[in-house]
Amino acid sequence: MTSSISNSRKVYLKVWLLVVLGMAVAMSLVRLFTFAMGASGEEFIGRVVGSLKYLPKITQQQDDQVMVFGSSMVEAGFSPRQFDREMKQRGIDVTSYNFGSGGLNPLFQDYYSRRIRDIYQANNKRLKLAIIEFNPFQTTKRRYQGAVASIDGYLGMLASDEELWQLAKEDPTRGALIYNIHYFRDDISAEMITYFFGRGLQAERPKPDADPDTEEQVALRRKLGDQLSEQFEKDYPDYVDEDWSYNWQGGGTIPAERSEETLKVFEQYYESLRTPYRMASDKLWREISADITELRFQEELVESFIKIVKNFKQFSDQVEVIMLPKNSRWIKNSSEALARQQAVIERIEKATGIKIIDYQNTDRITPEMFIDTTHLTRYHGGVVFTNMLVEEFADDLKASDKKTVP
Amino acid sequence: MCSVSVLPGVIMIFNTPIFFAFFVVFLLGYGFIFLKHKPKVYFTLVASLVFYGSWNYHFIPLLVGSAVADYFIAQAIGNAASQRHKKWLVTLSLCINLGILGLFKYADFALSSVGSFLTLFGYEASLPTLAWILPVGISFYTFQSLSYTIDVYRGDMQPRKGLLEFTAALAFFPQLVAGPILRARHILPQMHDIQLPSFAQVKTGFLLITVGLMKKTTADLLAGPAATAFDGQQTISVLETWSGVLAFAGQIYGDFSGYTDMAIGIALLLGFNFPLNFRVPYFAVSPVDFWRRWHISLSTWLRDYLYISLGGNRNNRRMRNVMITMLLGGLWHGAAWTFIAWGAFHGVIITATHYLSNLAVFKPFAASNNKFHIVLKWAITFYLVLLGWVLFRATSLENAWQVICDMHSFGGALPAASSLAITIFALVSAALILMHLLDYFVLNHSKKLESKGWLFWPLLVLGQALCLLIGEPSNDFIYFQF
Repeated sequence: MTSSISNSRKVYLKVWLLVVLGMAVAMSLVRLFTFAMGASGEEFIGRVVGSLKYLPKITQQQDDQVMVFGSSMVEAGFSPRQFDREMKQRGIDVTSYNFGSGGLNPLFQDYYSRRIRDIYQANNKRLKLAIIEFNPFQTTKRRYQGAVASIDGYLGMLASDEELWQLAKEDPTRGALIYNIHYFRDDISAEMITYFFGRGLQAERPKPDADPDTEEQVALRRKLGDQLSEQFEKDYPDYVDEDWSYNWQGGGTIPAERSEETLKVFEQYYESLRTPYRMASDKLWREISADITELRFQEELVESFIKIVKNFKQFSDQVEVIMLPKNSRWIKNSSEALARQQAVIERIEKATGIKIIDYQNTDRITPEMFIDTTHLTRYHGGVVFTNMLVEEFADDLKASDKKTVP
Repeated sequence: MCSVSVLPGVIMIFNTPIFFAFFVVFLLGYGFIFLKHKPKVYFTLVASLVFYGSWNYHFIPLLVGSAVADYFIAQAIGNAASQRHKKWLVTLSLCINLGILGLFKYADFALSSVGSFLTLFGYEASLPTLAWILPVGISFYTFQSLSYTIDVYRGDMQPRKGLLEFTAALAFFPQLVAGPILRARHILPQMHDIQLPSFAQVKTGFLLITVGLMKKTTADLLAGPAATAFDGQQTISVLETWSGVLAFAGQIYGDFSGYTDMAIGIALLLGFNFPLNFRVPYFAVSPVDFWRRWHISLSTWLRDYLYISLGGNRNNRRMRNVMITMLLGGLWHGAAWTFIAWGAFHGVIITATHYLSNLAVFKPFAASNNKFHIVLKWAITFYLVLLGWVLFRATSLENAWQVICDMHSFGGALPAASSLAITIFALVSAALILMHLLDYFVLNHSKKLESKGWLFWPLLVLGQALCLLIGEPSNDFIYFQF
């Protein structure tokens, strides 16, 4: 009997080791493959990871801080150093940061804002003002469906250990999957790899009903682009390429640093980007990927947005919600979409107690201030919009300044 | 679903990390702690119930109840003095098992069908529905349990002592939710005398798990093209429709046979031998041959317990018996007219095959081993099987008819195939062939590979790594719903 028991243990030790070691080696091969491909979760959200890397340093500063948080529309349309300069001229000393980032929907932004909150709270620092963008077309069902493949990978990157543990307790199947993705797969899920390799098999991006750009238009665009790149290298010889630049507070260059001539080339370049074909193509893509005209909202994303505001309230003296200007020449919402949008706005206002400042239809921003159907140009639209934010919030910041003076 | 689970949120699917964790822990108990027979069987039963309850613990009593009822009925049949008494008892077992199945799986379908039927005659009948959740694997374990009482009734086996062993065998987690459908005479002796796995069994087990994983991963990748053809969201070319139908043929094969390969592989690691459930089915050269290769545990169950009970080939009633068997086989897969139509279609083509094979003009062709004839027979069979899959996958009979029309709309109004559509068609066909080559290899050459350890183990790990690297692990197994 003893020998049969010891024999049984021997056999099952072998089986057990083969199961565990086999899986360990297989997982190592997966890791090796993603490493060899240069694929890592950070590739997808480099700007987010970059901003979080600098946040401990930012929160150790003794200055008054303003953060503008949102999508790539914020990334393109808000200029922190422009904002600070304008505020300084009004006698207000603040440092602002651009925390706009493309490729995230409110579900992921919720986790991103939690990490920002954690770092501010860990360093006993509060934001003087948090300005959060509510982006309606980022909150739609289509936007959500488009991100389904990357949800678990993004959560692996953005959720804290406690949040992952909580998730695992609530839903062990999903928890085990995300732990696996986070700890063994460098935040690259199987779906993400499948999607990556299967891109060539996706249906071709639909083409708009417009004449494609002429060769002259393409050549001009290329020429202007090359010219601007050369000029940039001359103007900023020490520039370190980062997804999120600490020196530029998450924003980019500002007009005051560039020559008149360069700014003129930029205007020509922007114009070369706004060809009917490119604009129609961009619009069509926004329809397909984000339902930008009809705005059929995804409940879960609206809820996530409300959570974002609540997260910011925990470490900010003042929280405001804004909607960025809309390129009204290209984006014309149906009346049903506007009604849906209004209902969501009211819901957010009720849940957060904050009145949303809606710049969507401001007449100070014209279609010529956009680089495409949604993003403002850096040296024109972005500057005008940044100045609008200065005008909107200067009094608030001044008043709060006075309150803090002993 | 979460609120009624033993482990809320857990769904034990073989290709998920949570099942891996479950199995690693289970192996520790099974191989190191519970070494004596009785504790091992107890432990296996408890683990199997945790596995089943992870989906929905409300249905554990149904599973255990089914086992207990059939165990005692079989004992009673064994002790019954008269044939009449035995008949009563086996009828009771049939009523219990088929009653459970009917209540959970077919009641709503029957009620809605009666309602629709009455509407046809102008009666506005709004019959109430039960809207009950269908217990996972119910079709598998009721058939398995039923085979025991029928075998005892027929005298093919003696009733066995040991309720614990019987329940553990019925609930044994590798086969619980999607088969293969085991016969009591096959699994009970193994549960009574649990053997240590030999190293050859362990190697075959790992090979089958890896091949199953590869087939399941391929099946998941085929789900997209299949959906394009059947969802009717967009107008697609004839080639894309064919790609979709082929993709579904690959998806259902990879999904189901992949699952059973993994089930057989896991059982081998635990010292159990399960029978083969698939034998390269799309290599079949006649509809009859297809059913000898596809879901063998179901087709043989239907043959042994239904077709033969109806009289089989005797009394010139073969056609009727085939039709009844195939109709019920279709219905076994689900409560929908599409499944019934699928069963009926297979009934018709099997009957037609029998009929034509007996005609003097076709007899030489049916019996011919000429390579050209074999290829022709294969092509006809595969085409018919594909038509069957259209009925099986379609959301309704109208949808099925539309897809069949689209498949044959050459020169019609459908758009021309793009180069992307041609690429997808080629990839889908390649995936289908690859899965069959894998199966063919396992059936015919695996021993050769297993004898070369230096090649066998690295290949296995590489295969597993490939499956972990790509895929969509969140997809459920299609056959869970049956």
